[in-house]
Amino acid sequence: MKPDSDAIRNAAREAAQEITGRPLKDGQKLVSSGLIDSLSVLRLITLLEKKLHVLIPPETLQPEDFDDLDLIVETVERVAVPSR
Amino acid sequence: MTSHQDFCTQLREQLLANKDKVLLRVISAPHFDQPSEFAGATFLARAEELVSSLPLPKERSVILLLLPHSPELFLLQVALVLRGHVPAILAWPTSRIDADKYQRNLVHQLSNLPADLLVTLPRLLENLGGNLPYPAVSLTLKDGATYEKLFPAGQVSERLEHREFSGRNTRPSADTLFLQFSGGTTGAQKAIVVTASMMSRQFEQLRQALDFSAEDGVASWLPLYHDMGLIACYWMPLWHGAASLQMGANDWVMNPALLLKYVDRYRATFCWLPNFSFSYLGQRRELMQEEYRLDSVRAWINCSEPVRQKSMQQFAAAFADWGVRRESLQSSYAMAETVFAITQSPLGRELFSVPRSEVHHGAQSYSPLAFDLMDDVYVSSGRPLSDTKIKIVGVGGAARPDAFPGEIYVQTPSLFSGYWGSDGFLTHSLHEGWHATGDFGFVVRGELFVIGRFKDIVIVGGNNIFPEDVEAVVNTISGIYPGRVVAFGVEDTQYGTQSLAVVAEMKNDFNEDEAQRLDADIRKMVLTTMGVAPRHVAVVPQKWIVKSTAGKISRRETRERFLREKLGAA
Repeated sequence: MKPDSDAIRNAAREAAQEITGRPLKDGQKLVSSGLIDSLSVLRLITLLEKKLHVLIPPETLQPEDFDDLDLIVETVERVAVPSR
Repeated sequence: MTSHQDFCTQLREQLLANKDKVLLRVISAPHFDQPSEFAGATFLARAEELVSSLPLPKERSVILLLLPHSPELFLLQVALVLRGHVPAILAWPTSRIDADKYQRNLVHQLSNLPADLLVTLPRLLENLGGNLPYPAVSLTLKDGATYEKLFPAGQVSERLEHREFSGRNTRPSADTLFLQFSGGTTGAQKAIVVTASMMSRQFEQLRQALDFSAEDGVASWLPLYHDMGLIACYWMPLWHGAASLQMGANDWVMNPALLLKYVDRYRATFCWLPNFSFSYLGQRRELMQEEYRLDSVRAWINCSEPVRQKSMQQFAAAFADWGVRRESLQSSYAMAETVFAITQSPLGRELFSVPRSEVHHGAQSYSPLAFDLMDDVYVSSGRPLSDTKIKIVGVGGAARPDAFPGEIYVQTPSLFSGYWGSDGFLTHSLHEGWHATGDFGFVVRGELFVIGRFKDIVIVGGNNIFPEDVEAVVNTISGIYPGRVVAFGVEDTQYGTQSLAVVAEMKNDFNEDEAQRLDADIRKMVLTTMGVAPRHVAVVPQKWIVKSTAGKISRRETRERFLREKLGAA
């Protein structure tokens, strides 16, 4: 089953805080602000996959697709598939 | 000595001898399954077409290329060399920068360089307008629109005083092929002058060390502004009539499995990667959906960062069932100053390693190391290439015996003899025929181990970052105490690389809200100008940064204080 948007938003907040050590506010940019570096984007994706029990196929995705909470929710809803 | 003309004749002959064989495949998003392919004849024809489409200066000129990963960039660099011009590839920004800040900074950077022409995308050219002290022309790429989106239309408002380069030697010597930037992104940016002799000697050295032939194939995600991407993964196979496959660095970071897919599809035999890539790929293995055959690869060569045993073991364990053999894991020590490689581990043999306890660190009165590898086991970077000598030099200049570390000195026919930068072309002085690398290491049984460096460089995922550049950029931020900024590297244990840290003192009385604002400004500014986001930023009160007894800011001691107080390290 695919997670709903609230679950994705909560998982994204937790994942971002684990990486940056600080709470993520609504609208706050993660990637374009330099808050997380490019290697951490994949770390963020991996954490989202574990927390939400989904796979996020990286084809066609760019780091900007994970730039803030709204974009993360939109991206995960669009591309994630339940993990095996 | 190989002349420029001989070099170009030989390259043309190689391309024509392989007129029907695909020598270059370039993969650009979103066409992941449809690489642009160039056999020898089409390579030459398309390269000639591209170079003819540009209004180039008549005389031999320095031409800066500021273009994204694209077939055109690969072809144009070679085409300009064949035309007798001297191209220099500049790093294209990541897609996450603040366009306005980036463009203003670009005007400053480019204005410091005595180039003759800039080639870039139409939108960027329009925005830069007439702000540069030399002409600029645009090149329209097949997929250029995707990259142009980075730069909203609007001329950069930056105005500079007129720069005068007269009195400097701005004309390249007759044997110069191209310029290779070795780091530095501010006004101090400088490039290595790569000549025909250096290149032809390096290609022969690599051919011998790797038993490289036209039957081989290289798969790469490394950018062309990096010596490993440009020389090992592009020019070397082209020179020997072998195929290379090139994907973009951003695409690889988001989808590391793609590289393995191409290795499988095109049966690649060589793959050069910085150390962190071995950890990164290993850790992604369980999430990869498809399986690939990797047994075609003769050598996975770890280069451009210190080689870490843990990273290699992670990679070997993760991909053993896909055909990665332990004896295919190799290493090399390389730098742009020698075109590329200085050493190479012997192929077909497992990497040689030495326990830290067997190395005589002893009490040497060295100036402090900027980086000191703390691993329990050191991994060899291999043996010197043919006609190459290495010596380890201790305090006072004496050569050191086996297992005693010191500064690495190198002597090789592919060694550079000059730089190019804001002061034009300059000669590089050697120490009695030796180049002092600024790296720290030792030799055991003829093999080199690189375990630290004196030079202040932070290597983030294979990219050289100069702390002075980061500090200069952060110093310009309003609210930061000018001159009270320190940048340094912090160990990234997960990926076996370094991450960038910045400590900056606040100008006014410390308050948390202002510190948060400055933290955000620093991150954005460093990302935009350096292309790398700092993982750690600490905005601190005045007098937090540690000074030496002589009153100079101490990077090493500030780093130690940061690790202790901000990261909670023991």
